[in-house]
Amino acid sequence: MKQVLIYICSIIFLLLLWEVASITINTINSGSVLPGPYEALSQVVKNGAELQRHFLASAWRLVMAMLIALVAAVPLGLVIGHERSVDTFVSPMIYIMYPIPQVALILFLFLIFGTGSATKVAIVAIVLFFQVLVSARGAAKNISEEHLVSVLSAGANRWQVYRHVIFPATLPSILTSVRVGIGVGIAFLYIAETNTAQGMGLGSFIKRYMLFGRDRAFAGIIAMAFLGLVLYVGIDILERILCRWKYIKR
Amino acid sequence: MIEVDNLIIDYGSSDRKLRAVEGVSFRLGQSESLAFIGPSGCGKTTLLFALSGLLTPSEGSVRIGKEQVAGPRRNVALILQNAGLLPWKTVWQNANLSLILSGDYPAHNAQDILEELGLRNVKSRFPAELSEGMKRRVGIARALSISPSVLLMDEPLASLDTLTREKIQDLFLTLWKDRGFTLILVTHDIEEAAFLGQEIIVLTEKPARIKARVANREVGSLDYRQTEAFDRTVCRLREELER
Repeated sequence: MKQVLIYICSIIFLLLLWEVASITINTINSGSVLPGPYEALSQVVKNGAELQRHFLASAWRLVMAMLIALVAAVPLGLVIGHERSVDTFVSPMIYIMYPIPQVALILFLFLIFGTGSATKVAIVAIVLFFQVLVSARGAAKNISEEHLVSVLSAGANRWQVYRHVIFPATLPSILTSVRVGIGVGIAFLYIAETNTAQGMGLGSFIKRYMLFGRDRAFAGIIAMAFLGLVLYVGIDILERILCRWKYIKR
Repeated sequence: MIEVDNLIIDYGSSDRKLRAVEGVSFRLGQSESLAFIGPSGCGKTTLLFALSGLLTPSEGSVRIGKEQVAGPRRNVALILQNAGLLPWKTVWQNANLSLILSGDYPAHNAQDILEELGLRNVKSRFPAELSEGMKRRVGIARALSISPSVLLMDEPLASLDTLTREKIQDLFLTLWKDRGFTLILVTHDIEEAAFLGQEIIVLTEKPARIKARVANREVGSLDYRQTEAFDRTVCRLREELER
């Protein structure tokens, strides 16, 4: 309950900062450049049905991308981190590919997958893939020797070492990388959605109204922020369930 | 019967060899106990890992029964320095880990072992919620869950306060007498070695070689600490370590 109250106070404080910024910027520019929270939130209510469709389209793409990235990057990252011979062979490839700005690939992805949802999911999945891969690899490299010896001396086979030690030990780091990845993923989803012709998604909605309906565009921005919030809270809840041992009172 | 012949363990590549254990040999019968004592970092843990099958010796052999040890065995339990508990598993899951891994879970005696070690009321807790003494008991419960014929212990009571350490030493002694497993202990605590080892092997600094063998056959009763024989063994071990 206390946590919920803190969340509400934090959001109210953010809205106040926004109002102050809006008044200041609009006064300096003698015009309506930055809509205030009241105008933007009114537009959220007015355009609720349309926003909901765009919100669901973006949310679906983001969640799909997260799932694809997790399924691909977690096992690979853990194996690279734990198996020295695999690490020696694969790590140079990661070092080369990770720094490439993924946005540079967007044109190729449009050529491969077309301009539909697949490209948007693919670009976000690629971004998240590298974030999760690097985190999972790093976490798997830092597994306590004592925990490994503990299961190996009990006769664990390779699969059991991953199942009982490496995966649970690295899960908090993996979830942290997903949390970091949500912000980056939303940014790339926005880029992908604004780089196509009119379609569904919050990026398209924002782009459509940015020039001649700024209040409405800000309603889209609020919806994007809400999407991020829902996912952050979802990951927090997931972590509290899956990593219960981290939250016990000592 | 455990037979170790001329055990040599080297680390590193062939051109940069670091010898950890050199020429260690001993024999130990069923239900006997043996303690290794030596300075920190001398290679005691390496020696114990070779006995448990976690390390392959560079030369020499380790036999348990009549079989050459070539990997971890189901009748050999190892208790690690900090009990080796997995923080993400509950007391119950940690205590039964060996059985879960071998597919023999649940064992009919798992509940009894927790009861015997005073852990029944904490079985759904995580290790971080336990005192250090309780953590060591969970480590013991895990070892006992497989009804081992050989119990290997790597400084199992390091960093515990004196009273807790003595209580758990008493528990080890009682379990050893009751269950009849063969006990091999590695420690740098002179009194612990004297209280639990029927024979004590003093090791040199790295690489670990046998410096002296001290017989200590009177071991076996809880009040052994109050006897002259215990004091004599402690003095002898101190002399050997300082020599």
